[in-house]
Amino acid sequence: MSYYQSFDEVPGIFPYHPPSQPGPETDPHRPENPGDDPDTERTKVVGKSKTTMETVKEMGATQVPEIKSNIHCLTIVGQIEGHLVLPPQNKTTKYEHMIPQLVALEQSPEVEGIVVVLNTVGGDVEAGLAIAEMISSLSKPTVSVVLGGGHSIGVPIAVATDYSFIAETASMTIHPIRLNGLVIGVPQTYEYLDKMQDRVVRFVTAHSHITQDKFRELMFRTGELARDIGTVLIGHDAVQCGLINEVGGVKQAMNKLKSLVEEWKSRNEVPLQ
Amino acid sequence: MILYTPMQLELVLAGLEQMTHYPERRTTVNGVPALVRNVGGREELVQLLSTDPKDYLRTDLYPGAQVIPSR
Repeated sequence: MSYYQSFDEVPGIFPYHPPSQPGPETDPHRPENPGDDPDTERTKVVGKSKTTMETVKEMGATQVPEIKSNIHCLTIVGQIEGHLVLPPQNKTTKYEHMIPQLVALEQSPEVEGIVVVLNTVGGDVEAGLAIAEMISSLSKPTVSVVLGGGHSIGVPIAVATDYSFIAETASMTIHPIRLNGLVIGVPQTYEYLDKMQDRVVRFVTAHSHITQDKFRELMFRTGELARDIGTVLIGHDAVQCGLINEVGGVKQAMNKLKSLVEEWKSRNEVPLQ
Repeated sequence: MILYTPMQLELVLAGLEQMTHYPERRTTVNGVPALVRNVGGREELVQLLSTDPKDYLRTDLYPGAQVIPSR
């Protein structure tokens, strides 16, 4: 301790005057090897930033360099989780996070367009319709791409955007809503299900070029699915029946979105007075 | 709740009975109100409770993110 004592025992008054003025000949009392001093206890503090691999392992995500894009990408994968938390083997899309996110996208001035990427096996009717309604009511340009699959309740989400794409190999299953949960064998149960189905059919026909009759025909077609009635539409089939606008992938979707953004910007431009 | 999916329901709901429920508590994470649960000594974000839509666009706060809640 004594080595480093450079202050008085009793605090002095400013300006501080050392007991003796140091000159070139004075020994600065610096120990030759401070590490050997047994009196001083020191701990070495080493800082380290996480490497990419570590963040991937811990969070399942990488830190992307911050370049803010004017386009926001919403991915809808796995099961669309409803009011019941699904067991952990399901990959889920959580609507309680998506819905406020869509509000934020509508509000934030830096977001000019939204691309919705779908690879979903369906899920909760209410949650799916909620997301679809949110997307369709955005004022900003939206484009969807169905990759892999956009089944059941993924169909209304895919058609909710301004323009929709489907990959050539992607498929969409259209089938009736079935009962799961509490089953009561009364005619009202059937009516309730029918109403539920009507909500989906009405949304899809209002937001795409498919007619109600055609959509219902696809929904109740027999002989296509092994275990169920309904239809699987693959790529071009979905475009042919008017459900989806165009066959294409990310490139086509981004080009379309860019042109929609330009159009939207020019429409919203404030004319100079 | 009605699930509208071509997947078999037995597959979707498999393991529903064995699901462990971790107690959740309300707290704030970086000043944002959130539901947080402790999973094996790690704090995991369950749901954001904020009313500010901007919080939902934050890259560090999403369901399942590991967080350090304020005491």
